[in-house]
Amino acid sequence: MNAHDIVDIFRRILETNDIDVDSDFFQLGGDSLTATRILSAVARRTGTELTFDDFMAAPTPGSLSEKLAVVAV
Amino acid sequence: MNVIVVGAGLAGLTAATGLSAAGVDVTVLEARDRVGGRTHGIEVAPGRWVDAGAAYLGVRHTELISMLTGLGLRTMSTDMVGASRFDIGGGLRTVDGRFPPLNAIALGGMFDALDEVTRLVDVDEPWRTPGADVLDRLTVDKWAAEQIDHPDAATFLPLFLGEMMAADPAAVSVLHMAFYLRSGGGLRYLNAFEGGAQESRVDGGAHQISERLAAQLPHPVRLNDPVTAIHHDDNGVVVHSASGVHRADAVIVAIPPELADRIEFTPRLPHTRTSSHTARGSALKIQLVYPTPAWREHGLSGWSISADGPLLSTVDDTPAGGSPGVLTGFVTGAEAHRFSALSADEQRAAAIAQAKHVFPFLGEPVECHITDWLNDPYSVGCYAALFGPGDWTRHGPRLTTASGRVHWAGTETSTEYFGLMEGAIRSGQRVVSEVLTAHDSRSLVSEPT
Repeated sequence: MNAHDIVDIFRRILETNDIDVDSDFFQLGGDSLTATRILSAVARRTGTELTFDDFMAAPTPGSLSEKLAVVAV
Repeated sequence: MNVIVVGAGLAGLTAATGLSAAGVDVTVLEARDRVGGRTHGIEVAPGRWVDAGAAYLGVRHTELISMLTGLGLRTMSTDMVGASRFDIGGGLRTVDGRFPPLNAIALGGMFDALDEVTRLVDVDEPWRTPGADVLDRLTVDKWAAEQIDHPDAATFLPLFLGEMMAADPAAVSVLHMAFYLRSGGGLRYLNAFEGGAQESRVDGGAHQISERLAAQLPHPVRLNDPVTAIHHDDNGVVVHSASGVHRADAVIVAIPPELADRIEFTPRLPHTRTSSHTARGSALKIQLVYPTPAWREHGLSGWSISADGPLLSTVDDTPAGGSPGVLTGFVTGAEAHRFSALSADEQRAAAIAQAKHVFPFLGEPVECHITDWLNDPYSVGCYAALFGPGDWTRHGPRLTTASGRVHWAGTETSTEYFGLMEGAIRSGQRVVSEVLTAHDSRSLVSEPT
């Protein structure tokens, strides 16, 4: 899953199109409830189950896709 | 024109205030010895009050905010600093932030399912939601059994619905849950403190809203005056209360639907407002008062979640000024029914023991206030009536429909912010224009041309 796929997930769940690969989820008004929905969507699409702490450390589509690439190896 | 308002909660007093301003002669009859309904203040130290009932608001609660401004009341932030304590399987844990240490992906799946059904609902006319008949027949516990396959989500759903709407998942229809979440602004808004529906509380207590509204009315609210019967016909209404008989051009019934159904109407109204499936909002609020909010010294916010209860969640409710320390506990849903069956001594002992378990450094509280809304005879539940299977399709279309000179208000008649203070106020505003349009004598007399 690349960063652009994650941008699409962010857009759907945060209900705004104003998101690019460097947008910070929490600065966009994302909260922990919404974060779980991102993790759930990523897990459904990739089979990779990231934790809440993983997401806190990589809260942009770009960094999250890099994290996925590392974890999935 | 004169109008009788039954119930001096936020809805009734908003209506009375609006009608008085329009020149209507208004009499407010209140069963209790106080105004405020499901808001109620407790003075925990001289001049320091906490909310034993409704407390929270957010920026979308525009009518409430403008009312507060008009009454000279201020809000205070509910901002939490520090870590949370969780007792939801796997022992007691301290976690940064407010989110429970459960499987995030499982919870995400559950919130997706909730969000999906919440989006589906027609919030203005829930009975017209696509598939309303199915969603209205199905209770949330049965729906969840199909939707949820992870134990962490199964643990969390009742806690979440308890917090959001004081509901046992077995007591409400999926349609009501979806409606309630949507009406309150959606999952995210309704759940959030910062940026959400719990962003602020009223400095000094939300009960002051009703006290100030009542104080500004031309006639004092008649307290200790429960209404038992209402006769209504083309000429007017006759309202029978403890103090006697009151005549008016119209009556506004601004009390919870279960209580409205207990009034004897002649002639009988064509429809009831509840069924045997309508349940009471299931909440008790417990305030433990300590000399100081000692949890703050331990880096804790006071926020805790305990799956086994009885206090399913706790929050720091310390008044502005920082003392005394007030830990407010919520007992909701099925746990509220278990807890309210205990004796007062047992309730107190259980609440104090749990506070000590979750926050071991706490000693004995100075005071312990237990407010049982579930069994309160003049609220019959809190936050609001819970619509069970069939209720929305049966009663929904007529919630606001006047029967001749009998009009309805109350948070349960508002499809906007149902169950909240904001919904109560909006219902009061809606009924003001309804009554003025329907019964204004100027519109009844035809002007000579």
